[in-house]
Amino acid sequence: MLTLADLPRRELAARLAGPGLVLRTGPFTNRIRTDVPLLLDGLALLYDDYPVAEPGGFADFSLSLHRAGGLRRWYRPQVHFAQEGVAPFKPLPLDQAFAMFEWVMNWCVTHRAHSYLIIHAAVLERHGRALILPAPPGSGKSTLCAALVTRGWRLLSDEMTLVRLEDGALLPVPRPVSLKNGSIDVIRDFAPDAVLGKPVENTTKGTIAHLKPPRDSILRAAEPALPAFIVFPRYEAGAATSLAPLPKARAFMQVAENAFNYQVLGAAGFTALGRLIDTSSQYEFHYSRLDEAMALFERLAAQPA
Amino acid sequence: MSASPALLARVLRDPGAAAGLDPDGWDLLLRQALGADMTPILLVLLEDAGLLAAAPPAPRAHLEWARIAADRHLQAVRYEVRQIGRALADTGLPLILLKGAAYAMAGLAPGRGRMFSDIDILVPKERLPEVEAALMLHGWFSAHHDAYDQRYYRDWMHEIPPMEHVKRGNVIDVHHAILPETAAARPDPAKLRAAAVPVADAGDGLPAMRVLAPHDMVLHSAVHLFSDGEFNHGLRDLFDIHRLLLQFGGQAGFWAELAPRARELELERPLFYALRYAVRLFNTPVPDTVLADAGSGRGRPGRALLALMDRLFLRGLAPAHPSCADALTPLALSMLYVRGNWLRMPPLLLSRHLFHKAFITPRAGQVQQ
Amino acid sequence: MWRVVPGQSLAFREWDGEAVLYNDLSGGTHLLDGGAVEVLQALRPAPANAVALATALAGRFDCAADELPAVIEDMLAGLAGLDLVEPFPC
Repeated sequence: MLTLADLPRRELAARLAGPGLVLRTGPFTNRIRTDVPLLLDGLALLYDDYPVAEPGGFADFSLSLHRAGGLRRWYRPQVHFAQEGVAPFKPLPLDQAFAMFEWVMNWCVTHRAHSYLIIHAAVLERHGRALILPAPPGSGKSTLCAALVTRGWRLLSDEMTLVRLEDGALLPVPRPVSLKNGSIDVIRDFAPDAVLGKPVENTTKGTIAHLKPPRDSILRAAEPALPAFIVFPRYEAGAATSLAPLPKARAFMQVAENAFNYQVLGAAGFTALGRLIDTSSQYEFHYSRLDEAMALFERLAAQPA
Repeated sequence: MSASPALLARVLRDPGAAAGLDPDGWDLLLRQALGADMTPILLVLLEDAGLLAAAPPAPRAHLEWARIAADRHLQAVRYEVRQIGRALADTGLPLILLKGAAYAMAGLAPGRGRMFSDIDILVPKERLPEVEAALMLHGWFSAHHDAYDQRYYRDWMHEIPPMEHVKRGNVIDVHHAILPETAAARPDPAKLRAAAVPVADAGDGLPAMRVLAPHDMVLHSAVHLFSDGEFNHGLRDLFDIHRLLLQFGGQAGFWAELAPRARELELERPLFYALRYAVRLFNTPVPDTVLADAGSGRGRPGRALLALMDRLFLRGLAPAHPSCADALTPLALSMLYVRGNWLRMPPLLLSRHLFHKAFITPRAGQVQQ
Repeated sequence: MWRVVPGQSLAFREWDGEAVLYNDLSGGTHLLDGGAVEVLQALRPAPANAVALATALAGRFDCAADELPAVIEDMLAGLAGLDLVEPFPC
């Protein structure tokens, strides 16, 4: 199976500039076109394990990120995203091109892929059990996700938990883990060997960097996982590590509020979420020490069924 | 260099054209449909033609995604109309729905797969304050605070500023006419309201509703498309007209009275264009006598103007997708924008409006590359 | 008299005395306590008033028998705001 690493850089650049680079991310194929060198660099660094398909054929999502034309080409240059002639977002400064690419890749899926209930949550697997970490921004979910990934957990996704409507299986869409501000240094310390993209400053979310997912997670991207735990994390400086069970009906509502497309799915979403709550245990989790958090999740995953 | 017939337009005209598509073809078709906001409509056509099951799994999945969104949309429309009916019950006014909401609630063919963002209703101008007050009482508020926008709508346009519901976020557009007071053509709204027909069998809990009579529905759709400044949904709106004509074409007296009604409402020119381009793009079975009647009198523009409009509209109506664009398109689209506003507002007001909108009101624009 | 709004299938899931319920009309999902779900279930077969429902559900609620109709009436008024039930003329 051809991966991005198998493409000479010249070929990579030619596809991006021309017919498009078609990358597979879990169940989806993405046709990417760009003229922004930063984006080419980001792809070469963080996506080299990903399967690459031939240009042409049917791709689930086609997206273009190009330098804005006119005066903006040179003065405070910008990158803008367009899909099928429509530009749903305002352009961003050119140096944020990779971050924009990652946001857009998420948006394509969460906006349309309604054969799944898509929860705004990280999802990882260990010992055959999947851990789902929903959390609003600022709760430390991404730090936890990145840390777990460096400690041997399989990454399914850092942002989107895909619950297949027909059977409740969780489908991987593994992509680089986005880290913000302080957590970039935390992860650098926690896992000095981790591959991180160049941090980008001054985005609307502060400084952002992306962690390359483990090769194993990409190799196993076609392998679904079964849900076991839904844990709502809350980082609080100085807090003791604690895990408290959540009442199921409330957990249901909290997950629904953290889902991108629960409202669109209607009765099918209600049924799928009910099944998810039935087949997993739900908890609230407070922590301040990353190593203690790791130990707790390891114990959780190692429990007998 | 002219734009080649778009694959999407070909399939809309004849769904069978999708039968032999290879993966590249499916990719292009679905991307054009996405750009034209017509994916669920494509689903309906393919399914009706028995072609959905034979589509390859990957594009078929995308069409099924669109089905879910369209079903949810219809549920939301029904609920919103129910709430609007409740809010306006005390006014005693008939609830007259326009455009997408009308097609959906009357179960008309153009409603199938047709998604839209606002619910449009038609009320008498003198009852506007009462209607606005009743809506506010039930949780709608005016979304446009800019004093200029307020004046634009209230003084010049044919509707009050769109109102948004505080909890549900849905938007209602309350119209008192189908063209602004400042326009040259003045289709009499009282005539439209008088001819409105009740919707039968809408279902439990829904208010009594009316929609425009068939001729008026076609003419309103034509006015909306050919006087409006914006062509983001040009192909979809023309397809609405095509489906309306197919739906009503079998009714006794429909064809014979279409052009006369257009004359009565001063809408000969939009009807002429609507029929011309529906036939061109979708092969709508419009009788020759009707085409001739629509082209008589004030219907048909002069030769030079018609040639120009053909070039502009055919580009404006192509799916809004880079594969359909050619060198002329950005200019054509911007000319159509200016033209659209000229039909609705006299030239003196126009430049002030355009100036203000370009520099003060943010708008998400279409990429033209 | 009250009835379940036509079109509502009352799909619900209940865990430990709390329930979530799908609203077929609005597309919304509500968090309800188990008691409200019992009232809805009792009302589903045919229109009824609060007194009749109180009789049918006697012993299911931790409430004095003479207070139960008023409690149920209040509950129904709340559920009416969600378009789950509606007044039904006798």
